[in-house]
Amino acid sequence: MEILRNLRRRKLRTTLTVTGIVMGIFALTTMGALAEHFNMLLGGGITYYGSSIQIGSDTGGGGFGAGYMSLDTLSQIRRVSGVVEAAPSVQVLAKPGSVSAVNFGVPDYIMNFDPKSFDYSAFKVSLASGRWPTDSSRWEVALGASFASEFNKHVGDSIYLPVRPSDATADFINHRFTVIGIANKTLTAPDSGAFVSLHDAQMLMGESIPQGIRSSVDPYKLISGVVAFGKPGVNLDTLADRITNTVPGVKATKPSDLVSSFKAGGAVFTFMTTAAALLAIIIGGLSVVNTMIMSVTERVREIGLKKAIGAKTRNILGEFLAESTVMGLLGGAVGFLLGLLLTLALNGSDPSGGIFLITPRLTVIALVFAVALGAGAGVIPAMRAAKMDPVTALRAQ
Amino acid sequence: MATIQALGLTKDYGKGEKLVRALEGVTLTIEQGEFVAIVGRSGSGKTTMLDCMGLLMRPTEGQILLDGTDAGLLTDNQRAEIRSRRIGFIFQEFNLLPTMSAMENILLPLRYSHGDRKAAQRRASALLEEVGLAKRTHHRPMQMSGGEQQRVAIARSLINEPTLVLGDEPMGEVDTDTANTLLGLMRRINAESGVSFVIVTHDLDLAARTDRVIRLRDGHLISDERTSIPRAA
Repeated sequence: MEILRNLRRRKLRTTLTVTGIVMGIFALTTMGALAEHFNMLLGGGITYYGSSIQIGSDTGGGGFGAGYMSLDTLSQIRRVSGVVEAAPSVQVLAKPGSVSAVNFGVPDYIMNFDPKSFDYSAFKVSLASGRWPTDSSRWEVALGASFASEFNKHVGDSIYLPVRPSDATADFINHRFTVIGIANKTLTAPDSGAFVSLHDAQMLMGESIPQGIRSSVDPYKLISGVVAFGKPGVNLDTLADRITNTVPGVKATKPSDLVSSFKAGGAVFTFMTTAAALLAIIIGGLSVVNTMIMSVTERVREIGLKKAIGAKTRNILGEFLAESTVMGLLGGAVGFLLGLLLTLALNGSDPSGGIFLITPRLTVIALVFAVALGAGAGVIPAMRAAKMDPVTALRAQ
Repeated sequence: MATIQALGLTKDYGKGEKLVRALEGVTLTIEQGEFVAIVGRSGSGKTTMLDCMGLLMRPTEGQILLDGTDAGLLTDNQRAEIRSRRIGFIFQEFNLLPTMSAMENILLPLRYSHGDRKAAQRRASALLEEVGLAKRTHHRPMQMSGGEQQRVAIARSLINEPTLVLGDEPMGEVDTDTANTLLGLMRRINAESGVSFVIVTHDLDLAARTDRVIRLRDGHLISDERTSIPRAA
């Protein structure tokens, strides 16, 4: 009670100080939420790409690249020593032409669903409702969680894929699919995916080939990549090199290279959060130090009185530290709440679910950091108060 | 029985050419239940004497014996412990905390002595009654007159049932009538509870109404006389 009364005594000063902490923790929360989102995204990537080998054409690579491979390559890869399974991968953009210059996250994609690939992968995706497509599925699609919420689709609904861009050319083709399943949220790449049978994925890939050469290729004999899985105990980097050297026309990327690039990406966001934390220390911390020094100076006689009537050094230290800690807690709670509200609002306005993720870990970090900041910044002023000579303090003017 | 004894008390401030001797070889004993005034001009050493007796300051030389214990051998925290349990303080400028009510100010020493809070609250109510402020329990210092604030301070000095109350010009900030009332109040408490009072004052009329007047001049004890006022029982 006395702590709050002391803080209320100097309302403006307390408000300004707490505002300093609010700004710092607000920055920490929003930057942290951004970092948490991307670290989750990258974490999924590290798990998935660390446990499999991505193989593309040696002229352009798989995924969203322009290179294609013959379906026959798949059987050659399966024969390489150490490979336990290899699954075809056919991937096309779900919203062609919509990838903006600044893109946070994975663009929506359409991909073949391969049950074997799911079985062998260390990264698991489960269904919230419905079922996955089978090899014999036609015009059926299972949607990732963000994909489904972006287009507000449920099991049984229809969706036209790929999504027609606003500047679609005259030859743009899309098809009506029935939603047969919705995946649980993974907070990583599969959330932005639409999963169809290999046949349908190849058909869509064929239609994305430039019109001039479209008629000269059979899309059902093409794939955009292969995902290979190693036998237990096999070094995947060595196996990737072996695939590249053994199978003509392919390039297998070492899992460790992909994982390293993901980790490098994560480091950028960790740096951003650290920078926000430093900002919080500088703005919030200095204002607490300033306020507490002024408070100690103003209350010298009070300190003298308390020491005269029996307060020990640790009592005075504790009282002033409690005051600065409460300021830290107040600023932390308000700053975190503002950050939470802003990120929720921004996520709510983004159809794909947004780019901020407030985790329990971030909540604890923000609040503990704010309390530690308040307490830490209060140490020097509180020590000054605690070490005061009672006689000098009592006679102070 | 002696409540407090000062033996050969000397206190120096500063060093070298700037050295000032505030007290020199002062020896005195305050008996249990005595009401003593220390008088002297400004700079005579009376406040320094009080600070040494209140264990707020360590003398350069000499000893303070409180109920027989040599205070010089105690650590700062042990001295704080003794201040919280055995010594009450009354200051010229009341020194009440502005954010606290009269009741909370009276209970403040309890925070550091860790006594029985319920018993202390009953005692605080009784003390407020005794100093005539039963209706001011929840008033803050700003809402009270100087005399009333000093009564709260007197009640605060007694909350932990000390054996000694030290007052540094306790009537220095109030008018003559209020000063007389406050002295009467302290004398009554002294008579009823047997707690020893030592007050520093420059008002010789007030000093004459105590049991004993100790005069200091330039740090020396120059007289120690009993007054004609009969000692409280």
